[in-house]
Amino acid sequence: MDGGKVTLGRAAGLYAGAAVLRLAIFSLLPALPDLLTGRVEISTPVTSFKRLQEGLFLYNHNVSPYDGGVYHQAPLFLPLFSLLPSYATFPFLTNFLYVIVDLLSANALWKIAESGEAGASAHFTSPRREKRWSGFVIAATFLFNPFTVATCIGRSTSVFTTCAILHAVAKAVSGAPFGAMAALAFASYLSMYPLLLLPPIMLLAYDRQNPTRAIRSPLKFSLACTTTVALISAALLGMSYLLTGSWEFLAATYGVQLTLSDLTPNVGLWWYFFIEMFDSFRSFFLAVFWLHLSCYVGGLCVRIRSQPLAVITLLLGIFAIFKPYPSISDTSLFLALVPLYRHVLPLMRYSFVIAAVILYCVLLGPAFYHLWIYAGSGNANFFYAITLVWGLGQSLLVCDLMFAVLRDEWEVERPEMVGKEIRQI
Amino acid sequence: MHDPITHVKPRAEWALIDMGRPCVPGNVTARVIKHPVAGSASTSKVQRLGAEGCITMTTPQPLWKEPPPEKPADKRRRGFVILSFWLIVVLLGLPIWWQTTTIYRADLPLQEMLDWAEGRACRPVFPLRIAVQAPSLHDHEAQTLVRLTQHALDDLNDFAGHHLRLSLAKQSAPSADLDVVLTVRLLPGDATTAHLDPYEPVLHVTYPPNAIPSASASSSTLATYIASTLREAFAEEQATISYLLSANGSSPSSGEPRPLGQGLAPDVAESLAKRSTRALRYAPTYHLTFSLFTSGSTPSSWDIEKAIEDYMKPVLDVLSPIHNFTIDTQIQLYATPGVQNQVLTKEDLSSFINAAEWPLSPSIGGAPTINFVVFIGNQTIYIPSSSGSESVSSHSWLIPQWGAVYLLPLTSGTAHLPSHELKHPLLTFTSHLLTLTGTPHSGSLPLRLSSLSRIRSADLLLRASSTLGSLARLVVALPSISIPPSVADGVATTLSHLRHACYTLGMPEALYHARVAEAAAERAFFEKSMVGQLYFPDEHKVAVYLPLLGPVAVPLLMGAWNEILGWVRRRGVKGKVE
Repeated sequence: MDGGKVTLGRAAGLYAGAAVLRLAIFSLLPALPDLLTGRVEISTPVTSFKRLQEGLFLYNHNVSPYDGGVYHQAPLFLPLFSLLPSYATFPFLTNFLYVIVDLLSANALWKIAESGEAGASAHFTSPRREKRWSGFVIAATFLFNPFTVATCIGRSTSVFTTCAILHAVAKAVSGAPFGAMAALAFASYLSMYPLLLLPPIMLLAYDRQNPTRAIRSPLKFSLACTTTVALISAALLGMSYLLTGSWEFLAATYGVQLTLSDLTPNVGLWWYFFIEMFDSFRSFFLAVFWLHLSCYVGGLCVRIRSQPLAVITLLLGIFAIFKPYPSISDTSLFLALVPLYRHVLPLMRYSFVIAAVILYCVLLGPAFYHLWIYAGSGNANFFYAITLVWGLGQSLLVCDLMFAVLRDEWEVERPEMVGKEIRQI
Repeated sequence: MHDPITHVKPRAEWALIDMGRPCVPGNVTARVIKHPVAGSASTSKVQRLGAEGCITMTTPQPLWKEPPPEKPADKRRRGFVILSFWLIVVLLGLPIWWQTTTIYRADLPLQEMLDWAEGRACRPVFPLRIAVQAPSLHDHEAQTLVRLTQHALDDLNDFAGHHLRLSLAKQSAPSADLDVVLTVRLLPGDATTAHLDPYEPVLHVTYPPNAIPSASASSSTLATYIASTLREAFAEEQATISYLLSANGSSPSSGEPRPLGQGLAPDVAESLAKRSTRALRYAPTYHLTFSLFTSGSTPSSWDIEKAIEDYMKPVLDVLSPIHNFTIDTQIQLYATPGVQNQVLTKEDLSSFINAAEWPLSPSIGGAPTINFVVFIGNQTIYIPSSSGSESVSSHSWLIPQWGAVYLLPLTSGTAHLPSHELKHPLLTFTSHLLTLTGTPHSGSLPLRLSSLSRIRSADLLLRASSTLGSLARLVVALPSISIPPSVADGVATTLSHLRHACYTLGMPEALYHARVAEAAAERAFFEKSMVGQLYFPDEHKVAVYLPLLGPVAVPLLMGAWNEILGWVRRRGVKGKVE
């Protein structure tokens, strides 16, 4: 098809452009990657490239990478990165790996966009679906989003999780439930929290099954999916066990996320709260925070059952706000999926406020962090205040997007109300 | 089917508002419609909105437009959404809340701890073995003498806890047995005399040849004499121990008429009280600080190391089974004492130490410090003796639980203080050290030291027991205090060492066990994590829970309440229809 060729050419151009941008930053501004690696907005204790280097060093010297309590990432990163030439002497291949991962994510996003799932799912077809952006635009907004670029340049390992999640969604959309489950298992293995995406991705995969070899019984389908995820996760964990020789990586990776034992500041809401927390209530509030993070899954899946992709998008937004170690990388993933809902964007009420709040945080966040840590003229409250605003901006976006999606759904039911002002009660 | 009440009520209120207070068009431009958003749409909110006042419509139509009835599918879905949140709260939240906020209370053997504190678990008994060596006597003569002496001792003894057990020792081995506290060595002589050997725990007794009792004698002056001498030798220890027992109140609750402290005369008790207030609390290690203070620029050096080595080290060595010592020294020039009179009176002595300026740190490291201050100056101490006429002059005095001061007169200009000049001060300090460690005064040094170790083990035993008792009472009195496993471990350690100490009382290892028991009991009692929750009243828990959980709970509770209300109404409607 003619259009296909054009698309292919455009895709190649886009990807080449994105890759050139990244590689140019890597080579022309050699100090920037290390600067960004040290930024708390980009590198969290569970994704930091610096900590990965430390783990890699220990691993290559036959010491357990988790000795010293610095490295909190999945053990399978270690053989991958030790295959590459040492970063200190020959950084190009490592940088190239990160660029490739970004491009793979963009490719998955492109597939999701082209499927049209956002506008027309199995149970709901939006009347506005015609008004949408092409895969090219959506991939471009992802690839040239400053957050994505900064994450890539900062070489945070969260890009691997992002890539795995996007591929899980893309596989689910394209009717390959087991591929989706495998990708989800990878994402969960790397960061644990994507496991919470299992219900909506299962719904999405169930809705988009290939009709020729579909499993019709929801129970059987969910059982098969869960088993797949469990088996692949078990295999990955088993490999990690063989690799490190002990189960201590569980406590060092997932345990740290569950207990928040590393209180390095980040853009999330947890660290300050748990610095201030009374010791005797710490475990209780850890459980409360985790339950809070996971309690949205059920409610959203039930409420927006007809649009599982919307559930995934909203959940990713919620995770970017409320997970224990969030970074702008999580926000970039959320922002990558938001343009899929181009058709409901006009229904949003606070677009200007959201954009302003996010810009405000982007400018003031680093400044406040500087005041606290380097200038010493501020204190932890400065940075925490700005992360609160950041959380507020993102939650506004999540709420407003949810409102828009629901209103879109509701207007199908009540066509006479289209374009009229409403009040939520 | 839809609920009739839901949609009737707003209409009625609207009518009311319309009549009573006409709304100014344009002030509120909103339209109330039912909009299903995850779990938040509720009928009661419509009512509340109506009650707030004015609902105007943007559209110019004057009539209230009734929102179409909610579809049953939507209602059911809303129910499921609310249920999904509540399932997480009830199935995961509540168990976790219960699990993480219950106060951990390890089981403690409370009754046993109280038994120890009240002296029911252990009767402190000091069986002191005394060997008798009589090389010049025949076996049966010696045995008779021992039997008679034992009888005499038993008659004299009024304190059941403190036995002296005599036994006939083999002639050749001089007190090789560690358990033997004292050896009585009987030698023939001209008259009946007795004296303690200054270097060994030996009592030398000489007897005239005719003093040997015959096998059938029921009493003997020699035996009585030996018995009373022995009793005298141990009188102070016995008094101290019985004072300790009575001061700790270890048996008032047992109902007995205090057999332990009954033998104490008031003046003896008073002197014992004075002595025990002088002595420092027992610690396995003491830190000795030797300070040279001088009011001028000289002397600026002293041979303290050699002086300690020569004059004090021997005593430190013999004390080493009981205490460890660490030593440091310092010289302070141009030091002004707190009192600058030429003649110091008794009142001046207490303010002589210039605590504000002199660098005498209260405690270095974990061990308590004993200060020994040599002050170069020719002040004299004048204390009128109690009789009035005579005065006692002295160079040194002891400061209870702190240390001692020695005034060393010296010709000015002596730049270096040689060790022989320090002989007197250090010998004085040595005797003060013995007082400060609580050593008894009477008897020979070996006897005093072994008796110190017994007194200390009794003291530690009683103190550990009373700490256990306090812990037990605390645990009973405060049901909200948490008891971490470390406390339970500490109590178990204390109890087992207390038991050992109780069995071995009177033997050297008792001190070790008592020391471990006391340390473990103190650690358990002062466990930090126990008090963390103690001063945390329930009102504060509201402050912990409410800021976060309050906002979360409101929509959850409202959602559940509306669902239940709706369900009850539907039941009611159904019932009426039937």
